[in-house]
Amino acid sequence: MSNSDVNISRRSFVEKSATAAAALTIAPGMFLHTVAEAKPADQAVNSSVRWGMLIDTAKCASGCTACVSACNTENGITPSNHPDHDNTRTDPQWIRKVTLRDKQTKHEISLPMLCQHCEKPPCVDVCPTGASFKRDDGIVLVDRHICIGCRYCMMACPYKARSFVHETVDNTVDYQPRGKGTVESCTMCVHRVDEGGTPACVEACSEAEHGAMIFGDIKDPESEISKELVKHGGKQIRADLGLNTGVRYRGI
Amino acid sequence: MQQLNKRMHNTLITIAGLAMLAFSAFAFAGEKPSFAPKVPHPTNGSTECVQPEDEMKKNHMNYILHQRDKTMHDGIRAESKESYSLKKCINCHVPEDTEVRFGDDKHFCSSCHNFTSVSIDCFQCHMDRPMKGKGVKGNNPHGAQTTPAANKTTISSDIADTSKTVLDTKEAGNE
Repeated sequence: MSNSDVNISRRSFVEKSATAAAALTIAPGMFLHTVAEAKPADQAVNSSVRWGMLIDTAKCASGCTACVSACNTENGITPSNHPDHDNTRTDPQWIRKVTLRDKQTKHEISLPMLCQHCEKPPCVDVCPTGASFKRDDGIVLVDRHICIGCRYCMMACPYKARSFVHETVDNTVDYQPRGKGTVESCTMCVHRVDEGGTPACVEACSEAEHGAMIFGDIKDPESEISKELVKHGGKQIRADLGLNTGVRYRGI
Repeated sequence: MQQLNKRMHNTLITIAGLAMLAFSAFAFAGEKPSFAPKVPHPTNGSTECVQPEDEMKKNHMNYILHQRDKTMHDGIRAESKESYSLKKCINCHVPEDTEVRFGDDKHFCSSCHNFTSVSIDCFQCHMDRPMKGKGVKGNNPHGAQTTPAANKTTISSDIADTSKTVLDTKEAGNE
């Protein structure tokens, strides 16, 4: 290849890049960041994205369980009405409302607790079969085809985020197969996220006009969640464990 | 007397057996005898499967197995000619409003699996019928799960302050 060839291709490359950059910018200060967020449907997830959530406890209303019921409906989680015994304490629960009360000031805050989608998930560390895994985009999942139901992950999780399915499940939804004998937890509504959507809890929270939950890509500087984190910060629960959670809280 | 009875009994059984053989010979005259169950065909008007029927009969389990890991671990939920899924089988072959459940001889999967005594545990977790209202008949393996544009992260018209550093997730982990 001669020198001139190199120059021509370099020039055309620069021109093409400039055109591409121009196409992404619609108006000054306005960027189309769905381009960066939505992955092509036929391509594997990659680590250029990390999905996260920011929960503002000041906006989270005590007594409101919109996120919990939205999660249950979305993922087909229903109480396992066993005829012989009460299952309320063992029924799967992907998201729960927690109330924290300051003993001195009596101030109470309410927050939703769910899988924190850690960067270094302890559940993945302890899983003996490899069923517990973290996707490249940061979502921590259980592969039920591999899970043997040993429940080590449940013990390892500092957030008590995982549940074991004790009873036969007969009302699954087709995008979220669930079954007895396996461990499960919040999937960040991966079936929605893969198609450019938002988790059901976040949607329900904004429909209930609380808007306490923000979902987005924390690696994308232009995403709403990143901007909020830059501006106001977001705490990790048990930050001392160094897990770098994908779910952050404000006001705790 | 007892011996005579026994002999008569044996003769009767032989005659009955011969009669049945003769009947079956007539019944299958002209066509290949087959005791295999009739597999329910798609109810949505599709006439072609994702692969030829013979191939699917032999290797359907391999096609589905390959797809499940790609969906789960890589998040590839794209609808393409190469995509296979259990959901796709069910959405096509099981009518949406059916009362027939897995285990019943009339169910698409059970019709063969009962006959061949191959027990599968797919339906301990997966749906054995299309999702009502959401199950899209045909080739979309994800049902109607495409989220409307309103759910997408919105295009923000805020003035982007690119001078600020972004939360570096890796650095934050080493705190």
